[in-house]
Amino acid sequence: MEIIKDTEHGCTATEPMTSNDLPCEQGEIIIEEITRNHKLLHRHRLKQSEISIGRGYHNDIILTDPHICPQHLSLSFSQGAWRLNDNNSVNGTILEGSKSSNKDDHQQVINDGDVIVLGKSQLRILFSDHQVADTIAFSPFESLIDFIRHPIAVFISIALFILIAGNISYLNQPTETNISQLFVSAFSMSLLFALWPAGVALVSHLTKHDPRILAQLGISFSFFILLWLSDLLEEIIAFNASSNSLLGLISTLVPIGLAFSLFWLNSYIGFHVSAKRRIVVALSITALLFGGTYLLQYSKKPEFNPHPQYNATIMAPRYLMAPSNNVETFLKQSDILFEQANKAAQQD
Amino acid sequence: MKTLFTLVFILLSHTIFAAEQAEEIFAQLTPSLYQIKLIDKASGEKSSIGSGFQISADGIIATNYHVISSYARHPEKYRIEYLDYQGKSGQVDLVSVDVINDLALVKRHVDLDMPYFILSDKKPIKGEQLFALGNPHDLGMIVVPGTYNGLKKESFNERIHFTGSINSGMSGGPVVNKDEKVVGINVATSGNQIGFLVPHEKLVTLFSDYKKNAPTDIKQQMSAQLMANQNKLMSALLNNTWQSKELAGKAMIPIIDVPFIRCWGDSNADKKDALILAAIANCSLDENTYLSSHFFTGSVEIEFRYMQAKNLSDNKFYHLYQRQISRAGAGNRAGKDDVTEYQCHHDIITPASTAGSSQEIKNKSIFCTRAYKEFPGLFDVLYLGASIDKNQQALVSHFTLAGVSKKNALAFTGKFMEAVSWK
Repeated sequence: MEIIKDTEHGCTATEPMTSNDLPCEQGEIIIEEITRNHKLLHRHRLKQSEISIGRGYHNDIILTDPHICPQHLSLSFSQGAWRLNDNNSVNGTILEGSKSSNKDDHQQVINDGDVIVLGKSQLRILFSDHQVADTIAFSPFESLIDFIRHPIAVFISIALFILIAGNISYLNQPTETNISQLFVSAFSMSLLFALWPAGVALVSHLTKHDPRILAQLGISFSFFILLWLSDLLEEIIAFNASSNSLLGLISTLVPIGLAFSLFWLNSYIGFHVSAKRRIVVALSITALLFGGTYLLQYSKKPEFNPHPQYNATIMAPRYLMAPSNNVETFLKQSDILFEQANKAAQQD
Repeated sequence: MKTLFTLVFILLSHTIFAAEQAEEIFAQLTPSLYQIKLIDKASGEKSSIGSGFQISADGIIATNYHVISSYARHPEKYRIEYLDYQGKSGQVDLVSVDVINDLALVKRHVDLDMPYFILSDKKPIKGEQLFALGNPHDLGMIVVPGTYNGLKKESFNERIHFTGSINSGMSGGPVVNKDEKVVGINVATSGNQIGFLVPHEKLVTLFSDYKKNAPTDIKQQMSAQLMANQNKLMSALLNNTWQSKELAGKAMIPIIDVPFIRCWGDSNADKKDALILAAIANCSLDENTYLSSHFFTGSVEIEFRYMQAKNLSDNKFYHLYQRQISRAGAGNRAGKDDVTEYQCHHDIITPASTAGSSQEIKNKSIFCTRAYKEFPGLFDVLYLGASIDKNQQALVSHFTLAGVSKKNALAFTGKFMEAVSWK
C-alpha cells in the first residue's frame, strides 16, 4: 500500500530521491502490523516523511484497536532519522527495543526493527536496507516429502498400513475369521490413525499455514508403518536375547526415536518455526506420549505383585537366530536370582 | 479334578446324632474340653475360634495350628483365651507348634492338677466307631459319632479319613474311641460327612518333644519344620523314578512315581472349531501347609501341554501359543508381608540329554523365584519351558514348587528340564 500525500515540506513521493541533499527530505519506511506473537498481519511500504497512525479515517495507517486514539501518533523523518511522536494518546505509546539515547519528552528516534506498542496492537518498523536472513536451501527432507505426498505414495502407504493392521488383527483372533471382518477392523483402524495427520493439518490451517494434508498423511502413515516394523524388530530381539542382554533395552529406544522424527517432520511440513523451536515441540510431544504412558503404567502398578513378570515372547522357529545354552548355564543364572530374592527379603 | 480342601471353618451341618454312648463320653470328658478364642487386642473382640483339649494335669491344651495361626505370626496383635464348660475364661500362652501337621500346644495356668485326655497308645481299626468333640460355630460343645476309615490314601503327611460331620469351630477338638482315649484331632473337612483328622501319634511326638526341650522361639521352630518338611518332600521327589511317558504320541514327559503326586489329563479333541489341538497333563500334590489365611506353602504343581496347529500359519500359531504361556502364576497363595516379588530370567535352552538326537528339543526357558521374608532359606519357584523348534507343534512344560530351599529347587529344575523332550 502506497499512500501519496503532500507533506508539510511540499514534497511528493513520486519525485526521485537520489541523495540526502535534496531540498526536502524523504524517507522510505516499512510498517508491519503484527500480532503479539510477532506474527505478520499486514505490511505497509510508505515513501513520505510524515506518517500518521490512529483510529481515525484520515490517518495513513488506520488501526481498528479500540484502545488506540483517533490521532494516536505520528512518525516524522528529518535529518536522516525517523522520530516517533505521541499525540498525547490516552493509553500511550511504547517503543520496544530502542537503542536510542537521544530522547526528549515526546520524540524518540526509531531504529530498524523496533516494535511500537500502542493500545493492544503492535507495529514493527523496518527500513528498506533491513538485513534479511540468509536464504534457506531446500533440505533433503523436501525431496522426501515431495515424494511421499504424491497421491500414489499416500495411497500405497495407507494400503500397506491397512494390510499390516489386518494381519495383526488376524494374528490376535483366537477363532476363525473371515476377510471382510478383518478388512473392516483394519479400515477403521486406519481411519483412527488418520486423525493425527488430519489434526495437525487442521491446526496448521487454523494458524494461517498451508495445511498440506497429503504430505501430513503420507509422512504419518509411513512412520506408522516404520513404528510397526520397529515393534517387529523389538519382538525378534526379545525372542532371541536372554534376559540379561542389553539389546532389549536398546530396542525400546527405537520407537521413541521414530516418534520424535515423526513429530519433527509433522511440524516441519505444517509450520514455519525456528529449528530450535521445532525440536523443542517434537521433544515435548514425544515426552508427553511416552512419559504419559509410563506414568499411567506406573500409577496402575500394584504395591505388591504376586504374579511373576517375565518376557514370554516366542516366535516361529525361522526368527530364531540366537544359539541355545545348556541346562547348567541356565541353572547358574537361576542361582543369581536366589541371591537377589534373598536381598529383597532382607530389605523389608 | 483336584479335591479341594476346605479347612474346618467352612462347612455347615444341621443334624447331630448323639447315641447313648456319646452322651456318656461327653459327660465325662467335658471338663477338659475348651473353646479356644483368638482375641484381637485393639478391638477386644474374638477374631477366630476353635476347640482344644487338655492333655496334661498341669494345663497343656492341644489345638490346631490354624486356630491360633494369627497369633503365631503376629503375637503383638492378638492374645489367646480359653473358655471352659463352666463359662470361665482365661489367657493361655502358645508353647509349641507343629505347622506341618497343623497342631499347637497352649498352656493355661492351673493351681491344682486337673483332669485331662489320655492319648491312645494304639491305632484304631477300620470301621471302628469314634467320637469327635468340639464347638461348631460357637453353638456349644457337641459330640459327633463317626467311623474310622484308615489313613487318607496317597497323602504325603498322614491324615485319618473320618466319616462323620466335622464343622467349622470344631478344629482342634479331640476324636476319642470308646475307651475315651484320643486317637486324632479334628482338622479339615471335604464336605458330606468326609472329615480329616491328624493322627494322635503326631501329637504324642509334639508333646514329648515339648517336654524334653521346649522351643524358645515359635517362628524359628516353624522355620525349622518347614525346612525339614521340604527336604523330606523334595528328596522323595528327586530320588524316586521319573517315568518317561508319551504325551499325545509326540512328546516325552516325566511322571514322578510317588503316590502323593496325582495326575489328571484333558484335551480339546471334541472341539471341532478349535484352531489348536491341545492335550494337557497335570500332576500335583493334593495337600499344602497352612501358614495363615493368606499364606500357604508346600504345594507342588507340574503341567505339560502339547499343542498342534490345525490349518494355521506358523506366525498365528506362535501368536496364540505365546498367549498360553504369558500368564503363569504362583502355585500358592502369599502376600506382601510373606514373600518378595518374583525375580525372573529367561534363555534359550537345549537340554544336553537329548541334544543331537531326533528327540532334541529347543525351549525358551523361564525361571522365577521369590524368597520368604520370615523363613529365610525358603523360596517359591516357577519354571516355564516353551518349545520353539517346530513350526506347527509346541510343548509347554511347567512346574511350581512352594517353600523349597535353593539347592532342592535347582536340583529339581535341572532334572525336570533334562527329562522333557520330543518323542
